[in-house]
Amino acid sequence: MLAVQILIDGFAISALYGLGAVGFTLMFGVSGVLNLAHGATMVVAAVAAWVVAGQLAASPWMAAVAGTAAGVITAFATYFLVVRPIQRSKSVPAAEKEIFVLTGTLLWGIMIQETVAYFYTDNPKSVQPLIAGVMQIGGVRTPINELLIAVICWAVIGLLWLLVHRSKAGKVLLAASINPRALTLLGFELSRVYLSVWAIYGVLAGIAGVLLATFLGASSAQASQLTASAFSIVVLGGLGSVAGSLLAAYVVGYLETLTAYLISPTYRSMPALVLLVIVLYVRPRGLLGRR
Amino acid sequence: MRGFALIAAAALACSAAESVQAQTKEPIRIGVIAEESAIGGTGIVNGAHLAVDAINAAGGVDGRKLEIMQYDDHSSAADAVRAFQRAVSQDKVVAVIGTYISEVALALEPWAARTHVPFITSGAASNEISRHIHEDYDKNKYTFHEYMTSAFIADSICDSVKDLLQRKYSIKSAVVLSEDAAWTTPLDAEYLVCLPKIGVKVLDHIRFSPDTSDFTPLYNKIEGEKPDVIVTGISHTGVQPTVQWAQQQVPIPMIGMSSQATSGTFWKDTNGAAAGIVTFSVAADGANLTAKTQPFINDYIKRFGEAPNYTAYTTHDAVNVLVQAVKRAGSTDGEKLVAALEQTDYVGTIGRVQFYGRDSQFTHAMKYGPEYVTGIMLQWQNAKQVTLWPKASPEAKFSFPAFTQLQKP
Amino acid sequence: MVASRQLWIAFFGLAVLLTLPLWVSAYVLGVLTIAYYFGVFAMSWDLLFGFANEVNFGPTFLIGSGAYAAGLLNAHGVPLWLCLIAGAAAALLGGVVLAVPALRLTGPYFGLSTLVAVLLLQQFIIVFAGSTGGEIGLTMNDILSTEAITNYWYALAFMTVSGAILFALSRSPVGLILQASGQDRFGASALGFNVVKHKLAAFCISAVFSGLAGAMLVFYLGTASVGTVVDVSVGVQVIIAAVLGGRRTIVGAGIGAIFLILAGEALRPLGQLSTFVVSGVALLVILFSVDGLMGLLQRRRDES
Repeated sequence: MLAVQILIDGFAISALYGLGAVGFTLMFGVSGVLNLAHGATMVVAAVAAWVVAGQLAASPWMAAVAGTAAGVITAFATYFLVVRPIQRSKSVPAAEKEIFVLTGTLLWGIMIQETVAYFYTDNPKSVQPLIAGVMQIGGVRTPINELLIAVICWAVIGLLWLLVHRSKAGKVLLAASINPRALTLLGFELSRVYLSVWAIYGVLAGIAGVLLATFLGASSAQASQLTASAFSIVVLGGLGSVAGSLLAAYVVGYLETLTAYLISPTYRSMPALVLLVIVLYVRPRGLLGRR
Repeated sequence: MRGFALIAAAALACSAAESVQAQTKEPIRIGVIAEESAIGGTGIVNGAHLAVDAINAAGGVDGRKLEIMQYDDHSSAADAVRAFQRAVSQDKVVAVIGTYISEVALALEPWAARTHVPFITSGAASNEISRHIHEDYDKNKYTFHEYMTSAFIADSICDSVKDLLQRKYSIKSAVVLSEDAAWTTPLDAEYLVCLPKIGVKVLDHIRFSPDTSDFTPLYNKIEGEKPDVIVTGISHTGVQPTVQWAQQQVPIPMIGMSSQATSGTFWKDTNGAAAGIVTFSVAADGANLTAKTQPFINDYIKRFGEAPNYTAYTTHDAVNVLVQAVKRAGSTDGEKLVAALEQTDYVGTIGRVQFYGRDSQFTHAMKYGPEYVTGIMLQWQNAKQVTLWPKASPEAKFSFPAFTQLQKP
Repeated sequence: MVASRQLWIAFFGLAVLLTLPLWVSAYVLGVLTIAYYFGVFAMSWDLLFGFANEVNFGPTFLIGSGAYAAGLLNAHGVPLWLCLIAGAAAALLGGVVLAVPALRLTGPYFGLSTLVAVLLLQQFIIVFAGSTGGEIGLTMNDILSTEAITNYWYALAFMTVSGAILFALSRSPVGLILQASGQDRFGASALGFNVVKHKLAAFCISAVFSGLAGAMLVFYLGTASVGTVVDVSVGVQVIIAAVLGGRRTIVGAGIGAIFLILAGEALRPLGQLSTFVVSGVALLVILFSVDGLMGLLQRRRDES
């Protein structure tokens, strides 16, 4: 029943990749920021959940909430301490702002990573699954948590879609990603838009981090790997396109799973890398990219 | 006139102070190189501090206090080499103790040779360390291996499978699962030799990249091959494979060497998924290998709040071995220390420590055997490490999770 | 910043560095040796970034290609000096293979393709661990020298010569074109300059120096490993060094690298926190002194 195993496994890991990538691409689409502290943010959420579950003997659900909150706090810290000062800085030439934000978030990510490692070591932390136990699906024994993760990821993405397309605040966000200047001309405060996008990003990255902790475990040493993975998926799907990121997440997730099962886990990340290279050269705007 | 008297008094006071200074002896500096943000590394640092503080409290070495110069090598061989150079040329250490990563130990070995400063690794396992000493003794004699070589660890595990598991269960087949690292190459090679000798057929030999985070495909593959037991060799990873093994309810028990599982924090780190994991270690709570074992564990728990992992024991013993060598040699000179270290006969926390000589293929490695050091096998049960081999208390028995399927013989 | 002022800073710094072996320990010389090779990494990066305005997220692709090519050849008995040349050539080849398609991309896409190149190289080395030594690394048969002072001179000489060449290039007509095209691609090509060809040239020059420096570094260390010449974190340090020192100055990149490596060593007593502090300082520099250390030096000179 290898096929069923691959199908289920791939689905769960792709959903997790998708959640992380959606936050990343939304951040770029609306505020133009490529947050290289993304992986570190997820790790903070994961470790916070572990700490709350361990020190305070809380239930996995409480720990999940705490972890998500930690993700939001980290996102805001990134915005207020690193990104906004650079964006508002008068000494950085406008053409180079992007690069400075990149380098700044990169350094900030390293600082977060080292802080986590200092207090909690770089050993992977795991949180007890939200629902423990296994169930049989198509003859394959699957942890219930894995299925729950896929459900939660899609539910969150669904909520996000509703927010963006059905609520007024969401439509403002969408507009900001298309034409920020027009938005200001219409009287909207861009700074509030940015605040809300960082808040949403924090929630998405936080949930992704907590789910990662329940599924595979997360360690501070993985922070850069998580960022690189999200970055690749987002570029593959098309920078700024949420649908593109989801599609790319599933492509990458299944490619990795197939490789891990059929060839060897050691070569797991190679096909996705090669695909990325091909896409970059043949269609750089990505699968569903706009530009 | 008064001014003159004051100056003279001050001068007298200064010279008196200086002569007092001269009588207070120079401390003996020991370099400790470890990966401080890793469990294996913190064990080295903590074990060293515990040993040094105890020795200093007892008066030091011939009136001289011991001083630890600590370096974090960030799990990088290049950083460790720079730390070693600094320790020797800037900080003037008499010896360096450290690292549990074989790649790092192997990178430091030639530097011990170049600087003629003794280097004791208290956690790395690769056979290569002692092989280099055997093959080029005059150059590499400065390195000592205060931990068991991979080959002996494998032998120990095979012995315990035979003495322990095979008595209660039918263990006829196994899959070897190790991380792809320097220390597991000789480990696996020995597994492939000693397992068939006890009647266990090795169905498959899987080596995975140390930065693997998703073990699901591996467990699926192993389950498909239907072995009776999974024999492990993992150190860089530990939490993730264990947590996923428990979550997926893989019905095959895991026994072997899981370095992280030797640490008292492992149960918390895995949220209890460690239940049923059997691992080799050097000592554990209740093992009582020597008269020093339990007191050390108690002191460690009192000071650091958790039970020691394997590197804490070995580093504590390494510091004492070094200090004894300094006393025996009557000097801190590199050459004399090497000669004195070779004569080590020390009963530590893990057993009786002696090093093999030039004629053995494992020159300067710790002697393995019931009269020396064999290590123990422990199993995690109810948040405790229960020692099962070679000597177990009468109530101690195996306890595997409900999802494990083992056949009776 | 005016070229002559930069040159004065460079000459002064060089004079200081030349006298160091007289009064500094072998350990400090060793740290500086590594810092000088790092300086060449950073200066090569700055040529590409500062002048072609292309952020290379994977300088270690070029460095690692050079280092491993040299190392692998040496493991098969090829003499040292030939290995060095081969290393530079391998990096050049790698650079061309990467640059020809990559230069058609802009902004984050270019950056990502350079990053992907590093990840692929890393995977390649790990997968073929049998011949490359994988994560453990490759041990060199020959090393440059066992003497700390000799190694110091080699490194200092190499950095000085490379720095001089890179600096001269940056101020040459080619360099000025690159700078112009970096700031305004369309304007430059409207004037008839083949922007892509010149960017490719910059990439190749950057590749040759990076590869050669990488090869020399591994022959100094005696080992080549993923952690020292390929890992993304090394690339990050190169970028930090160049930005910290001051973009578009070449000299600044060298100073930034030396500062970074020395600071890392000086903070060694902090143990675990040394990386945190160095990153923190670099972040503060980026936030408050955009032109890096050279900018600070410039300001102080202006004020006086």
